[in-house]
Amino acid sequence: MTTTTHGSFIIERRYDASPERVFAAWADPQAKRAWFAEGEGWDIRSYELDFREGGAEKSAFRVAGGNNPFPPETTFSNETVFNEIIRNERIIYTYSMARDGIRFSVSLASVELHAADKGTRLILTEHGAFFEGGDGIKMREQGWQELLTKLEEYLSKEA
Amino acid sequence: MTNRSTTHATFVIEREYKAAPAKVFAAFANPASKAKWFVGPEEWDKSNHNLDFRIGGKESVSGGPPGGVVHSYDGEIWDIVENERIVISYQMHLDKQRISVSLGTTEIKPNGAGAKLIYTEQGAYLDGYDDAGERERGTQGLFDQLETFLSK
Repeated sequence: MTTTTHGSFIIERRYDASPERVFAAWADPQAKRAWFAEGEGWDIRSYELDFREGGAEKSAFRVAGGNNPFPPETTFSNETVFNEIIRNERIIYTYSMARDGIRFSVSLASVELHAADKGTRLILTEHGAFFEGGDGIKMREQGWQELLTKLEEYLSKEA
Repeated sequence: MTNRSTTHATFVIEREYKAAPAKVFAAFANPASKAKWFVGPEEWDKSNHNLDFRIGGKESVSGGPPGGVVHSYDGEIWDIVENERIVISYQMHLDKQRISVSLGTTEIKPNGAGAKLIYTEQGAYLDGYDDAGERERGTQGLFDQLETFLSK
């Protein structure tokens, strides 16, 4: 029998960068790859981003040492479809995650950007359906906390 | 800036049907069957319901009161486990205005000789055009129509 659990989280961050710059970090394939896909302990097998409504983002990455908790050679893949893109304001997307080809979650997320104190307030809200063998909402939130910190580092390096 | 707002909500609907899980699943999987119950109220104008039931396949239907606002549904199927689970991400538009993007999980479980259906919708309701309460009422109506379809 299958099992499905549902959960949601909200993360708010403030960045010292304009909404235009934060938006560009999501929209530009090179920029997004730098903070979203690149990471210690992972070998990126493929990455593509077609940033438009109905467009897709696809990535596959393999465990390559480091502090990674997964067995060597485990491959994760991500498939995203962009449902709504409002320049500098809002991005809504649906994505699935698979481990060695077996899908273990489908999520819906919105990213809102608001100008605030000469910078940007980002609000990420994610809803997930996690399947048998999936990571669950807590690990997913932790993963996004780390990614949004990497986005901050990217924005400060790029400045 | 515009009057943008993004409101998130989740609702769950549970129904018990006398039909077996395989029969309930078929009402979602078979395009001719789903077109019979996954449509607007009787008095609405309807457009064709289209369904390509496979992972990555699309579903669409639109309709509305004669001469009134057109309600359009556009979905994409993200997960299918035969007789057990269907996950669809969908958008609603009123005329050309996008009013929501939602993730709907339909779980079907054996329940005696029949089936229990658990539908969980997690959604982003946009710019004040709709809310989860309204959507839940609409979805309850669809599951009433499913019950009528299954009992025929």
